[in-house]
Amino acid sequence: MIITSLVYLLSALVLITAFYVQGQRYIVSMIRGQFFQSILIASISFLLAWLERSTDLVILGILLIVLRGIIVTILLERRVPDRKHYIFEDNVNVPYLFIIDLIFIVVSVFIIYSLAFSSLVPDYSFLGSSDLLFPLLLFFQGIFLITSRKSTITQVIGYIEEENSLVLFALFLLPIPVIIEASVFLDVLALVIISVIVNKEKPVHEVMEALRG
Amino acid sequence: MIVSNIPFILILLIPGTAALLYGERNDQISVAAGIILVVTCISIYWMVPASPDFFVNHVSWVFLLMISAVYLLSASYSLKYMGEKPSGISRKTFFLLLNLFTVSMLFSIEVNNYGLMWVGIEATTIASALLIMSERSAESLEATWRYIIIVSAGVAFAFISIILIYYQFGTLSVTQILSMNRAPGLVTRIIVSVALIGFGTKIGIFPVHTWLPDAHSEAPAPVSAMFSGVLLPSALYVLYRIYEIDPFRELFIWFAVVSIIFSSIMLSNQRMFKRMFAYSTMENMNIALIGFAILTPASIAGALILLLSHSLSKAGAFYSSGNIMKTFDTKEVGDVHGLMTTDPGTGASLLLSSLGVTGAPPFGTFFGEILIFYSMLEYHLTVEFSLVLVFVALSFIAINYNVSRMLSGDSVRSSCSSSLRYIALISSAIPIALGIAFLGVIGSVIT
Repeated sequence: MIITSLVYLLSALVLITAFYVQGQRYIVSMIRGQFFQSILIASISFLLAWLERSTDLVILGILLIVLRGIIVTILLERRVPDRKHYIFEDNVNVPYLFIIDLIFIVVSVFIIYSLAFSSLVPDYSFLGSSDLLFPLLLFFQGIFLITSRKSTITQVIGYIEEENSLVLFALFLLPIPVIIEASVFLDVLALVIISVIVNKEKPVHEVMEALRG
Repeated sequence: MIVSNIPFILILLIPGTAALLYGERNDQISVAAGIILVVTCISIYWMVPASPDFFVNHVSWVFLLMISAVYLLSASYSLKYMGEKPSGISRKTFFLLLNLFTVSMLFSIEVNNYGLMWVGIEATTIASALLIMSERSAESLEATWRYIIIVSAGVAFAFISIILIYYQFGTLSVTQILSMNRAPGLVTRIIVSVALIGFGTKIGIFPVHTWLPDAHSEAPAPVSAMFSGVLLPSALYVLYRIYEIDPFRELFIWFAVVSIIFSSIMLSNQRMFKRMFAYSTMENMNIALIGFAILTPASIAGALILLLSHSLSKAGAFYSSGNIMKTFDTKEVGDVHGLMTTDPGTGASLLLSSLGVTGAPPFGTFFGEILIFYSMLEYHLTVEFSLVLVFVALSFIAINYNVSRMLSGDSVRSSCSSSLRYIALISSAIPIALGIAFLGVIGSVIT
């Protein structure tokens, strides 16, 4: 009972970190928000491992901390001092984006949830099928962050949020084999490394005439 | 049938070894690997894997064959095309990534696990992203970024379907799940719908296709050929395997029809020939998707012959585009005149490949489309059939009109290297042979 309440609390904190990231204009704050989010999800994994006596979930939690919490954060933070664009995101109207974000995620999540996911009952259910609202909300937060910002690092953080939501989704519904999860983590890590390489030269993304139509 | 694992492991090891041999000669090693890979892929037609970790049947075989053929052609074409010092990445790195890209596609096709198929498709993004920016222009950097972020976000969405497959069946083994023959339900409907949108990002399904014209137009010609010819079909293969769990025919066919309409309209309005061919790829992938969605032996055979012929014709179209860009230094249709007088070899390959990708007889694409259209009528999909026919005709006219403008007129310029011309011509001509060969068996496929 205490563990399920803790899982519930941590899931709510995960969503708060997503809103925190959405409300930031400073890149370092966003990266650290992502760090805390990954650590919180790792903590959920450890709690569920305790509940289920599952070593797979312990490994998953460790992978989350090492690959997503530490390595990804270091990789992203190392880019910050090099370039002005990486310190502060220009032309971002945070209050306006925040309102649009709220409308977007509430509408999209509840439509998708009520149409498709409401009949799925997760393994570690503390709110019935409503448990899945947490990962869905996080997923659409990630999508919104990618589409609403022009900075490379912010879009990468949006993508990592999306991936974090999938880990949470699998944790609540039914954890998939750890070998698959580990491969997914490595894929994401490689993608973040490539993003960092590619965007050494292109920190901001605008519409280009040659790429129209 | 011979039961063995060795050739199936070899298929992954051949380009994998070429990738490991990173050095000054890895360009020639890649071409040699391509030749061995094609021979190995042909030889496994009569084999089945002994290990449950692999799942290769005749459908997968066609995909393996097309990947190995386009890999060989692209590696050979890149020998001359990439030059000694590409501006973005080194020549050695280019061939390393080309090999890793090929391994990840082959892995996605061979593996008997939905989760690992997803990993393979995501790995193709990692291996191919840097290939797009080989020429290091501002446009290629932007196209690379759009490719990374849009495709990764989309394929991440597809991972929800993988989690749901495990939730529903308790395994990710393709053969085990397909042999269960469970009755369709809400969960299986969600699985195939989410997979359609997620993997559809990579396949080029409207409205999640937006990276496709940018990446194809900005990547070097041999990479565009790999993207159009084999990357998109690899993702389509994974979607097809998930679709088999619960064929949600109406949804898939209508998404494909709308995508065909959209791509036809877009390609008719293109100024750039590489973007035009990119939209043509989107159109062909969606015609093949209709073939797989109908799921009859005739429609699947149609989709396979369409994809195989398209992969070579489209590779030919992009190699020809590469030759034209070397000769005319432009991507605009309106700036290219007199290709037939300037460079008859490239002119012929462009003409053949444009006829091939638009489904003119006797190319294999024509017979593939005929089989798919026949299956649509057999299933009384009259409205869908009429719409597809109108817009396929529009694409045919638009592409061949633009190509004829490029071929006609007078122009005096020095043409590109003869080896580039020959590779483009070979790639464009093979689909005619495929079409003629298929004529011999089309009767038995329909009956």
